[in-house]
Amino acid sequence: MKTTRIEIHRPFLATLVVLLGFALFATACGDDDGSDDSITLYSGRNEELIQPLVDDFSERTGTSVEVRYGDSAELALLIQTEGDNTPADLFISQSPGALGLLAGEGRLAALGSKLTSSVGQGFAAGHDTWVGLTGRVRVVVYNSDLVDQVDLPTSVLDLVDPEYAGKVGVAPNNGSFQDFVTAMRNELGDDATRDWLVGMAENNSPNYPKNSAIVEAVGRGEVPMGLVNHYYNLRAVEADPSVPSRNHFLPVDDIGSLVIVTAGAVLSSSDSGEAAESLLGFLLSDDAQMTFASQTQEYPLVAGIAPPSDLPSLDGYAAQTIDYDLLGDGLLGTINLIRESGIEQ
Amino acid sequence: MRLADIADPGRSTASKRRPPAAMLALSVLIGVVFMGPFAYVVSRNLDLGTDLGSLLLSQSTWDPLRRSLLLGFVVSASTAVIGTGLAWLTIRTDIWGRGVWRILAPIPLVFPSFVGATALIAGFATGGLVEDLVSPLGITDLPDMKGFRGAWLVLTLFTYPYVYLPVAARMASLPPSLEESARLLGRKPPTVFLTVVLPQVWSAVLAGTMLVFLYTISDFGAVSLLGYSTLAEQIYADQLFDQARSMGLALILGVTALCVVMGERALERRRAQVEVERSHEPLIVPLKGWGIPVLVVVAAFLGNALIGPVAVLGFWAWRGLTTNIDSVGLGVDIGGLLGPALHTAEVGLITAVVAIAVVLPIAWLTGRYRSRIAGAANSMVVAGFALPGVVIALSLVFWAIDAPLIGRWYQTLPLLIVAYVLHFGAQASRAAHVAVETVAESMSDAAATLGANRSRRFFTVELPLMAPGLFAGAGLVMLSTMKELPATLLLAPIGFDTLATEVWAAGERGALAQGAVASLALVAVSSVLTWAVVLRRLDVH
Repeated sequence: MKTTRIEIHRPFLATLVVLLGFALFATACGDDDGSDDSITLYSGRNEELIQPLVDDFSERTGTSVEVRYGDSAELALLIQTEGDNTPADLFISQSPGALGLLAGEGRLAALGSKLTSSVGQGFAAGHDTWVGLTGRVRVVVYNSDLVDQVDLPTSVLDLVDPEYAGKVGVAPNNGSFQDFVTAMRNELGDDATRDWLVGMAENNSPNYPKNSAIVEAVGRGEVPMGLVNHYYNLRAVEADPSVPSRNHFLPVDDIGSLVIVTAGAVLSSSDSGEAAESLLGFLLSDDAQMTFASQTQEYPLVAGIAPPSDLPSLDGYAAQTIDYDLLGDGLLGTINLIRESGIEQ
Repeated sequence: MRLADIADPGRSTASKRRPPAAMLALSVLIGVVFMGPFAYVVSRNLDLGTDLGSLLLSQSTWDPLRRSLLLGFVVSASTAVIGTGLAWLTIRTDIWGRGVWRILAPIPLVFPSFVGATALIAGFATGGLVEDLVSPLGITDLPDMKGFRGAWLVLTLFTYPYVYLPVAARMASLPPSLEESARLLGRKPPTVFLTVVLPQVWSAVLAGTMLVFLYTISDFGAVSLLGYSTLAEQIYADQLFDQARSMGLALILGVTALCVVMGERALERRRAQVEVERSHEPLIVPLKGWGIPVLVVVAAFLGNALIGPVAVLGFWAWRGLTTNIDSVGLGVDIGGLLGPALHTAEVGLITAVVAIAVVLPIAWLTGRYRSRIAGAANSMVVAGFALPGVVIALSLVFWAIDAPLIGRWYQTLPLLIVAYVLHFGAQASRAAHVAVETVAESMSDAAATLGANRSRRFFTVELPLMAPGLFAGAGLVMLSTMKELPATLLLAPIGFDTLATEVWAAGERGALAQGAVASLALVAVSSVLTWAVVLRRLDVH
């Protein structure tokens, strides 16, 4: 037998040793011990949509900001698991539900009233544990080739009527949908909420995993309508102007046009709370709010800043103060209502 | 020598020898580290006071569990057939263009399942791209790709390389003597395949199929997008607001996986010893008249698994590059992918080698010495693959964040690599087992008789014989690591973007074009690395 030494293993191993060495070196260099002029942000909000503002903040204040990007729910789990040793000083979540969970466990510090009072009523948590930065409005997205405008609902509560059977896509496991159901419980009570969910279930409302999947399905014509947040469709239409999906805004006093906030909070374990709050303050400044409105097509939450020009105004919006901490059995109740209704198919 | 030893010489030497104590201790240590995720799940269940009894009695547990198992078994069966068949065709026949097929065949594994599912939906769903293409021809009724059918299709198309790679590695190193004898006795190639080749590659088929099964029951991306509610999908859905149920279900998933792994081990213990030599070229079967039809089938299959999704991604990328978009974050930024591409290659390569090095002692002890302790450690390594990625990542957070010494490595590259190894060690482990089996003990013994010491025997005799199998395992780990998402997002050093995180972030902000470009970059980088690291080593030339 020919005993061929594997001739590759030397250069191959050498490459690896170099790589490993490089990795360790990089680690050693990046080992900063969280000095006071540096704060760490866990952001459930997309890098492209917030990093420029964070850079701007660093430039103006000299405070450097390390940002870990991820999914809001998973970052909340991360903070929960890290406990008091979390490197994070503040957390920006796309869903107030994830913040409600952390607030309920005492992981969020109370924010200064100057911050929480700068946004409209209902856009900050009951105990000042988080403050809304921007808003996304719940809408009915519809396919304009398949649905006549006159057939669009005037309230989300109408969607349980038989005429909408099989026609409205929902995402029961999605954070925004859960937040919407929580708001509905807050506003209309558990019985009415259960009736609505059961009605949607009996209507065989098709299920999707998330907002963007609903918008895509509506655009393709797979389902004529769906319940989503307003901003997904604006971006889908921009990426492909031939798509026939459109947003239908329900009346501002309908629970179906709930504003879901992207919100920020400072962690109670942070020893740079002041710097963290000043970053939130910066994101609520007029300049930053105008940037959000013009570049990400979201609603600014600070009074006096106009929403994007092609969106209806929120004037007259009956703000719901959803205090997630006070909702009895909390978000578990919402999950159970959704699960028991049979809407998940 | 006892009589029983003569009847079963392969086993006798194994049972007579005692495993080296240092190696045994090392295996136990590795097994304990791999127990981390399970211990985390158990500890969370205790903390949260999960009522496992009522969870087990609930219909809402059994329905998703049944769906997980059904999907797992069906995908396993289809990938076993496809992976083995494809390996035989590309390694052992004279199929036209086999050099190309060999490079292409393992690549579909690199598609993150959510990308594969998104491409399938965009292609085949109502109003999708395929409908746009064929509707002028009068075809409007496309099959519905939602639910079980879609999940089965996507997972089969993107996981068969778990079978293909180890089986191809094994086939490339089979001695031709048995097959030659069979053919001299007048047996037809299909009969030779079934009676001679298949028994010799069986353990590799089983190893790969096991990985497919574990991957399928742990997958979240494909099943959630295609609307097939499995146990893993429920674990994700409840992870935030019903943690007791989520963790209870994770425990059930983990225990199910352990049962399946131990069942497979029992099955695997009874396999025949396989002799392997590197000196001869394996027998190449001429396809003759079958050449063209077989070529069409192979091309059609790889067309669906690889070219289909690449075409959909290419379409999105092209549309993005040719449409004028001024909204923030919707455009295409190819230059920005260079850093992530390097990071992706870096973690893929390092993890592959570390994973192989970590599991080799265990594989050696179970293969050579039938060590039960190492066998138990191995079950921990393998079953860990069935736990969802987020659970693995959080378990590492749980154990590492305030651990002495380790804590300071938190959210640095070394600990990220540990997370990858914990998650994907199973792939290295199964491949390493197959590799260890290929080293006949007579060979090591002969070398020892000739005066070669332990390390010399290992580097000059045993390692070269194991190399194809080990490289196949390294390839699987590398491809999985390169597409890994949850642990990368939670545990990577801040700013350490990979192509997988780029794909994910682009998807989250609705930037289809950038997501497509990043996915294509991922396919390109992994193709090059798969060729460089794995396929060149498998080559029978």
